[in-house]
Amino acid sequence: MLARADDAWTVGEAAHLLKRAGFGGCPSEIEALHALGRKKAVASLVSPAEPLDAFPVPAWAVEAQAVSDMQERMEQRKKMQAEIASLPPEQAEVKKKEFNQAIQRVERMQGLEAQGWWFRRILKTSAPLREKMTLFWHDHFATSIQKVKAPALLIWQNELFRSKSFGSFRELTQSILFDPAMVLYLDVQNSKKGQPNENFPREVMELFTLGEGHYTEQDIHEAAKAFTGYQLNRSNGKVFHNRRQWDDAPKTVFGKTGPFDGPQVIDLIFQQAEPARFMVRKVWDFFVSTPLDEHVVEDLAARFRSSDYQMAPLLNEIFLSSDFYAPAVIRSQIKCPVQYLVELLKELEIADPPNGFPLVGQQQLGQTLFMPPNVAGWDWGKAWINTNTLLSRYNLAGYLTKGSADAEKMVDGERNRTPGMAPGPKSLPQKWPGPDYEKITPRPLRENPTALVDALIQRFFQGAVPMKARESFIDFANAKKGIIFTNREVAELCHLMLSTPYYQLT
Amino acid sequence: MSPDAQHPLLSTHLIAMKTRREFLRSTVLGASACWTLPMFVERTFAQLHEGAKDMATQPVTGKDGTILVVLQLAGGNDGLNTLVPYADDIYQRSRPRLAKKEKDIIKLNDHLGLNAAMPYLGSLFNEGGLGIVQGVGYPNPNRSHFVSTSIWETADPSNRSTTGWLGRYFDNACPGADPTVGISFNKSQPESFGAKKNPGVCLTSPELYKWLYSGGEKAEAEEFFANLNQPDDAPTDGASIDMPAGGKTGSVVGEGNLEFLERVALDAQVSSAKILELASKHRTSVRYDGTPLARNLNLVARMIAGGMPTRVYYVSHGGFDTHNQQANSHDRLLGQLDSALKSFFTDLKEQGNDKRVTLMTFSEFGRRVEENASAGTDHGKASCLFVAGGNVKAGIYGKQPSLSDLSEGDIQHTVDFRSVYDTLLENWLNVPDVKPILGSQFPKLGFI
Repeated sequence: MLARADDAWTVGEAAHLLKRAGFGGCPSEIEALHALGRKKAVASLVSPAEPLDAFPVPAWAVEAQAVSDMQERMEQRKKMQAEIASLPPEQAEVKKKEFNQAIQRVERMQGLEAQGWWFRRILKTSAPLREKMTLFWHDHFATSIQKVKAPALLIWQNELFRSKSFGSFRELTQSILFDPAMVLYLDVQNSKKGQPNENFPREVMELFTLGEGHYTEQDIHEAAKAFTGYQLNRSNGKVFHNRRQWDDAPKTVFGKTGPFDGPQVIDLIFQQAEPARFMVRKVWDFFVSTPLDEHVVEDLAARFRSSDYQMAPLLNEIFLSSDFYAPAVIRSQIKCPVQYLVELLKELEIADPPNGFPLVGQQQLGQTLFMPPNVAGWDWGKAWINTNTLLSRYNLAGYLTKGSADAEKMVDGERNRTPGMAPGPKSLPQKWPGPDYEKITPRPLRENPTALVDALIQRFFQGAVPMKARESFIDFANAKKGIIFTNREVAELCHLMLSTPYYQLT
Repeated sequence: MSPDAQHPLLSTHLIAMKTRREFLRSTVLGASACWTLPMFVERTFAQLHEGAKDMATQPVTGKDGTILVVLQLAGGNDGLNTLVPYADDIYQRSRPRLAKKEKDIIKLNDHLGLNAAMPYLGSLFNEGGLGIVQGVGYPNPNRSHFVSTSIWETADPSNRSTTGWLGRYFDNACPGADPTVGISFNKSQPESFGAKKNPGVCLTSPELYKWLYSGGEKAEAEEFFANLNQPDDAPTDGASIDMPAGGKTGSVVGEGNLEFLERVALDAQVSSAKILELASKHRTSVRYDGTPLARNLNLVARMIAGGMPTRVYYVSHGGFDTHNQQANSHDRLLGQLDSALKSFFTDLKEQGNDKRVTLMTFSEFGRRVEENASAGTDHGKASCLFVAGGNVKAGIYGKQPSLSDLSEGDIQHTVDFRSVYDTLLENWLNVPDVKPILGSQFPKLGFI
């Protein structure tokens, strides 16, 4: 068992918890969490009060509506095909293209709406750990709207992750086999008796449950036969097992032989010792990001396995451990783009971001919700940062703080076009009023530049920055202070403070 | 000049002993911790050229030297429908829906043809300038995208290396510490740039490649910014966290996260001024498509025209993982590749730089010989690759792989990809010793 930390804790530790188990917060949110004491604070995160349906999905994503839309589309397609049957080939092609393009336009707009819906939820939720776990599962069971195309399916998958975020990893893996978006993404429905497709079993073993080295090519080959016949019924949006397309002959997977189907192979996987270790390492890396001794992995994995792979107790143990609050852990993790954007908005107390900002930010920084680059999900940590994305982070902060007026230069419209999505905004709004500096940095505070800088250091860094950095900030503030410190100067000071390597760490 | 007579400011000893950040802050620039950016950049690059002349090893700069462009075809390019063995019965029978017939190809000889979506490469083959290497792969092939890509990028078939082959090239064969010796145009740094000392820079849009600030006293603000965005002078023993080696992601091996961020911040400044200047100066008259690949090659061409000292550019073209309904999508991707290369080489020729650039394509693996049930192909093993440029000796290299002697239904490799790397490193980039880069020498091919 990991050593427990005391219930008494510092504001700095509360900030650390809120940032890692959530997406950070403004000073009052951190203080509110701190006031609960460590144990109740963790409990409030692992068992949130906020109902699952607190943020209604877009109307077209509601199951009944989405299914009815799918059925209507199938009807329309049949009609179109009947109409063009009598046309000469070139004209038929044109009509078909028009039909498909109309559908694409709708799907692209829905895609944008879906991304906006989830980002807004992450920003406004009072259950931040649940949203962070939803993001974790989205990265783990990666599925992209670029291939799946129907945004409703991605939202259903998102709801699946949210509702099962703290439950059993084994059960979630079973559920993912019957998730329409995943079935389309990994071509599961193409796997039929006599022609098994190895894509799904390979990704399940390599990426979702075991990792390389803990299965053989033969296991994949055999498992592929078990995963035959799983198909998406487009008229009701449900995945079902078509037994006629299923290979029911005996297969041998992990040394066991039997006429297995998909769920039975997943059970066999979870009878191995490795999935528990695999997920423990991944969870630790995601939330703690420091090296982990193998014997600690074994210890945590044993409990995880015997609890039937329940996520809640594992998260609870990690967030209550003294290891989690060690100095080497605090502010050592590079923020992923979504974390960066949400934390920035919260720390500047901006409840509603400027139009287009979340999407432009995600695209420039390399992490767009519902669009992981491939089935392995995103590369985390240092991979988020290169000369290009680092400068983009600084410039996005400049735009948001109003420290830089070059709003129109911020968006290179050409480069924000992502295949399969509606083109991103051509420019960020010019008339964006900026954060409420009267509230964040009231006038009396601005009398004393040192106090002003310290207050902002507390807000953005929740603790120490290197001495030379603090001195630089104070020098800059002193240089800026003329007769009064207007909002403009505060903005520039904030912009400078945020344009630093230290701000990228959480 | 005796080997002991050294340039007073840039002796090999100095380079070897000092870390890069110390080099940049050396007495050449004055002991002050603060300097204005443009002056700093000019001086550093000038010093590098000066010092480089006296060194035994080749000059680092691509300003007058040769340039390599590495073009990744991401997803696993289907070599059989790229360099098509149209006359092979087995090929035709294995792919009833996907096989290219004689009318769908550009004939190169009696056995092989190029996919007809690539007319420019076809003409390049005939005019001289395109080499095609067949059967390229490595022992114990891996069919995972991530593992196999990693193997190609690190040039380590055991997939244990934390540095990339290009990163090791920068570290071992490019004296001086110019961060722009390698530029990649992807959102994330390619693994091949992973290095111990110099992992190159990453760029997507030159106009945005700088710190945007428009408030008052801009120069002052930029000075503060520069100060806050560089590594600390103070020793960092014990201050950085013992992170697992991050070399593979394009960072420097053994760096903690804060050190890494500070280094990237400094690299960003050093490279941004130079790149901005060049990007605004040189425009091309050649027409490029709107695909990301074409736009990136356009940028590469502009930088070469502008005299960037970059030696290696890295670009990607994605979407080759054609498990489903391959016919149209694969041809379209090859067509985009062809068109982008046509614009790029035409541009270079107009500039008079076509003899200085060699471009190499690579993909993590080829695809299976037999088509699958979804009119696509699954992950395979060996495949072909292209080497193109004014100095390339046109031809088909390597042995045509047998379609009857397969390994689990896949093409077996006859050329180890490291032979291609070795050929380019030794014969094109003039590396005197490839052992620190590739581990050992590999039999070279004759394309350059």
